Amino acid sequence: MNDGAVNKSRRRFLIGSTTLVGAAGGVGAAVPFVGSWSPSAKALAAGAPITIDISRLEAGELLGPMPAWRGQPVFVMRRDEETLASLRDNTAHLADPLSEVPDQQPGYAQNEYRSRKPELMILVGICTHLGCSPKLFAEVQPQDFAPDWKGGFFCPCHGSMFDLAGRVFSGVPAPTNLRVPPHYFASDNVVVVGLDAENS
Amino acid sequence: MASIDHKEVAQKTETKGLIGWIDARLPVVQAFEKHMSKYYAPRNFNFWYVFGVLSMVVLVNQLLTGIWLTMNFTPSAEDAFASVEYIMRDVNYGWILRYMHSTGASAFFIVVYLHMFRGLMYGSYQKPRELIWIFGMTIYLVLMAEGFMGYVLPWGQMSYWGANVIVSLFGAIPGIGQDLMVWIQGDYLISGATLNRFFALHVVALPLVLVGLVVLHILALHEVGSNNPDGIEIKKNKDANGIPLDGIPFHPYYTVHDLVAIVVFLFVFCFVLFFMPEMGGYFIEHANFEEANNLKTPDHIAPVWYFTPFFSMLRAVTYPFFGFDAKMWGMIVMGLAIAILFVVPWLDRSPVKSMRYKGWYSRIALLVFVVSFIILGVLGTMIATGPRTALAQICTVLYFAFFFAMPWYTRFEQTTAPPQRVTGRFITIPQLLFSLILLGALTALPLIAVGAEAEVELEHVEVNMKDKASLQSGAATFINYCMGCHSARFSRYQRVATDLEIPEALMEENLLLSPDLNIGDLMISSMPLEASKNWFGAAPPDLSLVARVRSPEWLYGYLKGFYRDESRPFGVNNRVFPNVAMPNVLENLQGDQLPCTEEGCAETIHVEGTGKLSPEEFDKQVYDLVNFLTYLGEPALMHRTTIGAYVLFFLAFLFVFAFMLNREYWKDVH
Repeated sequence: MNDGAVNKSRRRFLIGSTTLVGAAGGVGAAVPFVGSWSPSAKALAAGAPITIDISRLEAGELLGPMPAWRGQPVFVMRRDEETLASLRDNTAHLADPLSEVPDQQPGYAQNEYRSRKPELMILVGICTHLGCSPKLFAEVQPQDFAPDWKGGFFCPCHGSMFDLAGRVFSGVPAPTNLRVPPHYFASDNVVVVGLDAENS
Repeated sequence: MASIDHKEVAQKTETKGLIGWIDARLPVVQAFEKHMSKYYAPRNFNFWYVFGVLSMVVLVNQLLTGIWLTMNFTPSAEDAFASVEYIMRDVNYGWILRYMHSTGASAFFIVVYLHMFRGLMYGSYQKPRELIWIFGMTIYLVLMAEGFMGYVLPWGQMSYWGANVIVSLFGAIPGIGQDLMVWIQGDYLISGATLNRFFALHVVALPLVLVGLVVLHILALHEVGSNNPDGIEIKKNKDANGIPLDGIPFHPYYTVHDLVAIVVFLFVFCFVLFFMPEMGGYFIEHANFEEANNLKTPDHIAPVWYFTPFFSMLRAVTYPFFGFDAKMWGMIVMGLAIAILFVVPWLDRSPVKSMRYKGWYSRIALLVFVVSFIILGVLGTMIATGPRTALAQICTVLYFAFFFAMPWYTRFEQTTAPPQRVTGRFITIPQLLFSLILLGALTALPLIAVGAEAEVELEHVEVNMKDKASLQSGAATFINYCMGCHSARFSRYQRVATDLEIPEALMEENLLLSPDLNIGDLMISSMPLEASKNWFGAAPPDLSLVARVRSPEWLYGYLKGFYRDESRPFGVNNRVFPNVAMPNVLENLQGDQLPCTEEGCAETIHVEGTGKLSPEEFDKQVYDLVNFLTYLGEPALMHRTTIGAYVLFFLAFLFVFAFMLNREYWKDVH
C-alpha cells in the first residue's frame, strides 16, 4: 500500500493550504452568525432620535414622565441661577470637573455646566459604573450618604454620586461623568435627543 | 499479569505536552485512534458512502442555524409569522440563517434517503449490522417528527393545515381518537398552545434524542466495522498485526476523501440557498407565505416533498376493510410503510449482502421499489384525480410487495459467490447512464400517463432588481395607490429607501403616509381593518408577501385584468381573479376595459381614448409595480444572488485544494 515514496513536504503544503482556505471559509460562514447579534432594523428604529417638549419644565425638577432615548432614561432639568453658581464653585470633590474625558459629552457640552444652554441639563440617566439609574436629590441638605450635600444624583446600586451637571465625585465607584447625549434645540420649547444639528 | 497490562496501556497512550496531560485524564488519543486513525474502513467505498458524513454536516448546520433562529423567533400564534418575516428582513443576515435552515431541512432528507438506499443496495443492514440499521431507522423516524414540527413553526397556511392533517390522523384511532387529538393540540383546534409545545419539542427534546441516536448509530458502526459495496467482511482477512488487509485508516484517507464530498455538497447546497431557496415551492411552499387562517384552507394543499410518498399512500386508501373505515386504514398503511423498514434485516434471507452478488429478483425488486417510492412522492405533490389515485394504489402495493416478498425472492433466487477480497470495481459510464435512463423512464412514463397539471396561461414577467428607476416608480405607485387600503406591515420605509436608492429626505417628505411617522417605521396603512371589511366585504390583505404567495406573473395579469362588469359592486370584474372584492384602483390610468367576447382571446379590450396613460405606458407602470412588489416580498433578493456568486466562487477555490489533498493521499492506496 505505502511504497515509502511519500512526498512529505507536498503533503504538508497541501494540508496547510487546505486548512488555511477552509479556515477562511469558516470565518466567512461565521459572519451571519456573529452579524445577526448586532441591533436589528427594529432595534435601530426604536432607538431613533426623540423629540421632547420642555415647555412645562419647572426649575429644580426632572422632566416627567421620564423620556427615553434608546430605551434609556433621559434626565432633563432646568437649573436656576443659584444652582449654576453652586456648580461653578463646588468643584474640589469632583473627579473630572472640566469634562476632559472624551466621548462622555459632545463638544458643545464640554463646559462647566455640561450643556448647550447653561440652565438646561440634559443627561443620559445611567450610572457610568454598572448601569443603574441614579436618583435625584435636588435639595441642599445633609443626606445619609453625604453630610455636606449640595444637590445632585446618588446611585442606589453602588453609591456613586454626581452633581447637578452629572459630574462624578472623586472616591466613588463610577469612573466618569454621566453621559450627555447628542441633542439640539429645534425651538425654545422642543429639544431633539439622539441627533445634533452639527452632525445631521 | 496486572503490571504487564499497565505497561501496555502506558505505551499505547504515551503522548507528551498538553495532549499528553489531557490524555492521562481523559482518553482523547484513544478515542481518536479508535474512531479515526485506527478505525479501518474498507478501501473500496464508492460515491454512495459519502451520505453518512453529509448527514452529519447537515445536522450540525441545522443545530447551529436552529439555535440562532430561536434567538429571534417568537413561538406564539400571534407573533410567529411576523417574527419569521422579522428574521427575513430586519435581523442582520437573518435571511441567510433562515434559508440555511429551510434548505438544510430538505437537504437532510435528500442525504438520508440516499444513505438509506445505499444500505438497501449493499445489504448494510444484514448481520451483524442489524442494530446500526435500527438506530438509523429510529433517526429517520425522529427526523420526520422533527421536520413536521419545524414546518409548523413559521405559522403559515401550509404549517397550519399540514399540522391539522397530521394531527387529525390520531383522530382516526377508534374510541380514544378524538380525545387524543384534543390532548395533542391542547385545544379544540391547532392553536397557539399546539405551536408552543411543537416549538419545545422541535428545538429541545427531539434534537437531544436525535444527537443521542446519531452517537449510538456511529458507536454501533465502529464496533462491527463498515460494510462495503462488495458486502464482504474485511475483518476476515487480517495481516500479522491484526489489521484488515482490505482496510485503510479512516483518518487520513477517508477524512480527505469526505472533505471533497463535503465541498461538492456545500456547492450544491449554497446554489439552492442563494439562487432558488424556495426550490420552485418544494422546499418552501408558496402558500406558507400567507399567515395561518383556521377558517380558510388553501386551494391546493400538499405536504413538503419529503413526506409526499407517505401522504400519497394515505390518500390512496379509499376502501373500508374489515369494519374499519378508509381513514383508519390510511393511517395504518402509512404507519406500516415506515414500521416495516425496521424489520428489513430479518426479511432479507439472502446468503450474500451486496446487490452485486444477489440475483435478478432482488435487483428488479429494488428498482421497482425505488420507482414506486418516487412516483408516490411526485403524486403526493399533486391534486388527486381518478387515474392518479389508481397509480398511487398500484405503487403502494408495489412498495409493500418489496418487503413482504423479500423472504422468498432473496432465498430462492440465483446468487453468485462474492470474492474473498474486496474489488475496486466501479460502475461503468454506460451502466450508469443506462440505470439513470431506466429509472427516469420508469418513473416518468406512468406519471405522464395519468396526466400532468393544467395551469392558467399567464404572461411571463422578468423582474429586475437592478432597475432602480423601475423599482422607485413601483414604490411610488404602491404608496400612492395601494397603501390607502393595503399595508406592507413587515417592511420599513427606511429599508425601502436604502435598497431603492431613494434619498431619505425625499422619502420622508413625499412618501411617508403621515407626518407622525418615523422613517424607520413599518409600512402600515391607516385604514382601520374592521371598517374596511365592511366597505369591501373582505379586509384588504397585507401585501408584504403577495408576490411570494402568488407570483410576479399572476400579479401582472391580475393588475391588468380588470374589465367592465355591471353585475359587480364596483362595476368591474377580473379575468385572473374572478369576482375579486377589490375595485380597479388604477382605472384612471388604465381607462375602460371591456371583457373579451371572442373565442380564444385572452386579454381584455381597451376602450380608445380613456385613461391617462396609453396601454404601453400603463403596462410599464404595472410592470414597475410588480417589480417593486417582488422586491417587497423578499428584500434580500437585492443582494442574495451576488453574495451567492461569491460563496460559490470560494467553494470552487476550496474544491481545488481539497481535491489535490485527496489525490495526494490516495496515491498510497491506488
